[in-house]
Amino acid sequence: MFEARLIQGSLLKKVLEAIKDLVTDANFDCSATGFSLQAMDSSHVALVALLLRGEGFDHYRCDRNISMGMNLNNMAKMLKCAGNDDIITIKADDEGNTVTFMFESPNDEGNTVTFMFESPNQDKISDFEMKLMDIDSEHLGIPDTDYASTVKMPSAEFARICRDLSTIGDTVGISVTKDGIKFSTAGDIGNANVTCRQNKTVDKVK
Amino acid sequence: MDGNKRRAAYGQQQQQQGGGAGPPQKRPYSSSNNNGVSASYGNGRGGGPPPSMPPQRHLEEEDDYDEDVFLEETLLRDAEMAEEGREVAERMAKWRRPQLPPTDRTKDSILFQQLDIDYVVGEADKEWLPSRGQAAIIRMFGVTENGNSVCALVHGFEPYFYITCPPGFGPDDVESFRRLLNDLMREHNKAKHGCSVFVAAVSMVTRQSLLYFQKTKQRTFLKIVMTLPAYVAACRDILERGIQISGLGYQSFTTFESNVLFALRFMIDCNIGGGSWVELPPGSYRFKSQQLSYCQYEVDVMYDKIISHPSAGRYGKLAPVRILSFDIECAGRKGHFPEPEHDPVITIASLVTLQGEQRPLVRNVLTLKQCSPIVGAEVMSFETERDLLLAWRDLIREVDPDLMIGYNICNFDLPYLIDRAQTLKINEFPFLGRIRFSKLRMRDTTFSSKAYGTRESKEVTIEGRVQFDVLQAMQRDYKLSSYSLNAVSAHFLGEQKEDVHHSIISDLQNGTPETRRRLAVYCLKDAYLPQRLVDKLMYMYNYIEMARVTGVPFSFLLARGQSIKVMSQILRKARQRGMVVPALKVQGGSQDSSYEGATVLEANQGFYEKPIATLDFASLYPSIMMAHNLCYCTLVRKEDVSSLPLESVEKTPTGDIFVKPHLEKGILPEILEELLAARKRAKADLKLATDPLEKAVLDGRQLALKISANSVYGFTGATIGKLPCLEISASVTGYGREMIMHTKKLVQERYCIGNGCEHDAEVIYGDTDSVMVKFGVSCIEDAMKLGKEAADFISSTFPKPIRLEFEKVYYPYLLISKKRYAGLLWTKPEKYDKMDTKGIETVRRDNCMLVKNLVNECLHKILIERDIPGAVQYVKNTITDLLMNRMDLSLLVITKGLTKTGEDYQVKSAHGELAERMRKRDPATAPSVGDRVPYVIIKAAKGAKGYEKSEDPIYVLENNIPIDAQHYLENQLSKPLLRIFDPILKNASKELLHGDHTRSVSIATPSVGGMMKYAKKRRSCMGCKAPLADEDNTLCSHCQGREVELYHKCVTKVRDLEETFGRLWTQCQRCQGSLHQDVLCTSRDCPIFYRRKKAQKDLAEADAQLSRFQF
Repeated sequence: MFEARLIQGSLLKKVLEAIKDLVTDANFDCSATGFSLQAMDSSHVALVALLLRGEGFDHYRCDRNISMGMNLNNMAKMLKCAGNDDIITIKADDEGNTVTFMFESPNDEGNTVTFMFESPNQDKISDFEMKLMDIDSEHLGIPDTDYASTVKMPSAEFARICRDLSTIGDTVGISVTKDGIKFSTAGDIGNANVTCRQNKTVDKVK
Repeated sequence: MDGNKRRAAYGQQQQQQGGGAGPPQKRPYSSSNNNGVSASYGNGRGGGPPPSMPPQRHLEEEDDYDEDVFLEETLLRDAEMAEEGREVAERMAKWRRPQLPPTDRTKDSILFQQLDIDYVVGEADKEWLPSRGQAAIIRMFGVTENGNSVCALVHGFEPYFYITCPPGFGPDDVESFRRLLNDLMREHNKAKHGCSVFVAAVSMVTRQSLLYFQKTKQRTFLKIVMTLPAYVAACRDILERGIQISGLGYQSFTTFESNVLFALRFMIDCNIGGGSWVELPPGSYRFKSQQLSYCQYEVDVMYDKIISHPSAGRYGKLAPVRILSFDIECAGRKGHFPEPEHDPVITIASLVTLQGEQRPLVRNVLTLKQCSPIVGAEVMSFETERDLLLAWRDLIREVDPDLMIGYNICNFDLPYLIDRAQTLKINEFPFLGRIRFSKLRMRDTTFSSKAYGTRESKEVTIEGRVQFDVLQAMQRDYKLSSYSLNAVSAHFLGEQKEDVHHSIISDLQNGTPETRRRLAVYCLKDAYLPQRLVDKLMYMYNYIEMARVTGVPFSFLLARGQSIKVMSQILRKARQRGMVVPALKVQGGSQDSSYEGATVLEANQGFYEKPIATLDFASLYPSIMMAHNLCYCTLVRKEDVSSLPLESVEKTPTGDIFVKPHLEKGILPEILEELLAARKRAKADLKLATDPLEKAVLDGRQLALKISANSVYGFTGATIGKLPCLEISASVTGYGREMIMHTKKLVQERYCIGNGCEHDAEVIYGDTDSVMVKFGVSCIEDAMKLGKEAADFISSTFPKPIRLEFEKVYYPYLLISKKRYAGLLWTKPEKYDKMDTKGIETVRRDNCMLVKNLVNECLHKILIERDIPGAVQYVKNTITDLLMNRMDLSLLVITKGLTKTGEDYQVKSAHGELAERMRKRDPATAPSVGDRVPYVIIKAAKGAKGYEKSEDPIYVLENNIPIDAQHYLENQLSKPLLRIFDPILKNASKELLHGDHTRSVSIATPSVGGMMKYAKKRRSCMGCKAPLADEDNTLCSHCQGREVELYHKCVTKVRDLEETFGRLWTQCQRCQGSLHQDVLCTSRDCPIFYRRKKAQKDLAEADAQLSRFQF
């Protein structure tokens, strides 16, 4: 049995909006620590690693580790139906021995996940059931690495720079010096460089 | 020199070979005495016979004598020929043609089957034609019944053509006209020749023009005889432009029959068909005192003495033609296709077969550097390429093949040999023809035809030997997805062939005699396969028969299009009738000259579970032409219509007027009648024939007759052809359309409930020459009865010989749309014959095998097993397999030909881009221009272009790159599937493409790609896939109890894979012909290859899994 109640429902909506363009199908792994997802995009250049810790949920129960394969587009469609301040509950039954028992109970609980949305004043409850997929994929681990440099910057700023540069060229080169970080690209119409100086407000280079 | 060593090697292999190399009774030297021959050589030429000589010594001495004469001549030229070279020549001598029987020119006639006809310009024969200077001498090459080669030099035949005689031109003007024309020709040609006589003679003859019906039958024409064939065109130009004739003023002329090739002209006038038997009666011929050719008989003869035999009875047979099938291998450099400027020829395999015999007479491999012996073949090794090439030239001379076949020889092997010899400055190499001292000529040609498309090729002229490139024949006669020798032999012979990539060839060559042996075996196989294809497809019979039926030389059949065949028949027929064929100027295919084609009735889409009867018109277009007397010479000009009585003309549906047969019988209908009558005879004979060879000939003939009859219509409609006449072709299709509509109307009117039938008949579909009728009865027998009745009834409403035939019933029948249907075909009520599909299998080349297999299997289930749910389930399972990445990769491979390099493609294409990428990875194995590129579609970033998603299948296998299953589902499978299932199922798309079965997918983790340089695979529980905290464990705590079960599963899996791989590996070893060596083959056309690769990889993975248990 897996059950997780998230008060701040919009969080899940936002997260899903962000990743659904990168990844189409993925396994959500539920364990005692939390609700996590790890997948690569289809061209294998981006790895999405998502972890919603158990502590972050209002109620979190996970009897045993289970993997739930979902089509993220379909999931996003359902989450669109939730209001921004709704409370989302994710529920799934664990089917124990999938291999041996699947034929006897092929439908319903076993391969569906239920989302429950409650509006804060408790006057509306809707539940959606989604068929799960059986996704056979391998787990990837990211080895601990010593990084030569670490840069922290506002994500909005980073997104902006990338968006701007993408109008000039296809690829962006990132170089980091003591003074700051430089993004550069070149294309048919010319080339572009954006340099962000290191500043004190956000700390940087290790 | 290692001559001794090599000789020892020969001896050894001769023994191994045993008597396998051919029928000893026919050859004076059986292979078993080869040792004797080479041993005796060492004794010197004049030496006595060694003690162990077999009893055929007598024959040998005669041969030796001949050989001496020959050798002396060659020795003069190749004085420096080394001892070992002569030894090789000695070995080759045993492949000679049989001895000439004693021939007395006053008593014996020479009878031979001619295969090739050409002409040369030379001094006219002094004895027979004393007053001529230069003249064209026709050469006929052929083979006698005994297998002796003949070269007949035909004298006295002169090129000519006709023009209309201008009014007021009398017999007295003839000579002055000739002189005038001659002067004009001299002016035109003055720079070139010192020759003064161009126009040999002009005479007045009565003929009739082929084009348009004429009431006055006989008109006067001028026959202009030229001295040389080349002058015909020039003279025609002068006449067409117009000349000033004293007394008659300025006139331009239309010429007749001026565009007939000289050799064909000769054949037509002497009534010689292609590949037919020709007799030179006693006393008519003269042996040459000094032979110019390598033929056994070389005779002079006057053209009017030749007797041509019609191809029937004794003269229907084929002479024991010698067919040489060969293949060469070159040592290319890494990353380049072999180029004659750099890369040596290292192996040449030659097989010589006598037509009609099962086993080849000669199996020979010439190799560069020493090579281990091969069972059943003769290996000759040479130290230098020069010796190798010259040995092959000698081999050709000795075996003297009439026909040279091979795979892509015209565009690769022959030009390569010639260019290579030129690079090495071996000037004595390119003399492979039958004429002494005549060098091979090579030029680039472009062959373009509506039916066969445009092809660029090299043309190598080998005098007296016909070339037959099996590749070209394949491209012409069959639509295949790949024309590689491997694919073609897999298709027709049902066997795969080892494919050694050209980048490995050099490594093999530079290895040991053992590796060179592999190469030699490979090369031999490549030489053997074309021969087998020719045998299997009965090319010799079919093509010879085609040449006989249409009367064109054998070599025209491959080198030229359809129109020359029809033209040859028209010319022959016209000659009999005293008609002349106008030489029309070729109009550059104008757009407005198209006409309406055949009708296709609207298809009533659906799945019919009642028998559908099919009524066909037998040879529709030919019979229309016959029934309505459509021909060039029956077509009435608009201005002449009024002068003809109304009852003797017929107006066609397109408004053209043709006269009825009693006024003038058309030539085309007559040709067609003869062709169809001959076909009927051939078919009747075929039923009686018992001898398999005779059967083959007759079957080839009836096929050739059918094709020829059908191509007559096309000839009249070919606007860039020799003699287009759209009035005819448009009328033909017009009648065809009328007849289909008429049939439809008649069927539906007659077979309806109102007329006492049980059901209303319905015409559900009709195309060009057939209609499909649903009579409504549910029993096949009834449908057949009704079908026969209807066919007879409707036939009676059409003029003869148009006949509607009932042939078959489809039951059940799946009609998808126009030109697309499938059905189970019944010709007798007891059992179905086969599944018949049209337009469905999607033989299109840009489809992968998966589509074809799936569609076939579905149709099989639907039509034969009548199991629609089963078909649906099958589709679902296949789609699941595809999504789960369990599909055999070879089924997903798409191939496309690479016609130009990446930069030259205007639009980026999947295969072009891939070739470019592969070149960057490894230039050695990348496909080059001309190769077919196989690829699969892989997953790529969102919005990636199609051409970015192609990948080399082998690379995909090796790196576990995920296949874009969705792409295959949407772009390849969905359309053909929905086409089939839409008439059967409701909501087919939802049911098949979006059901529960699509919810199991597998996402492969590749071993290349940006992120994979960084991320590591993490082990998960082998039972439930949950990630493991401790990576050394095999199972998570939950699955711990199932350890034994899972271990057992794992072991079984490894064992199964081991077995699969073992089987595949052995299969490939069998294919390469050795169970002791590694498999080198990388044939991208072979499904086994991908399965082998995949099994190998899966096995490695499963093995790694197993080792995790650490037991």
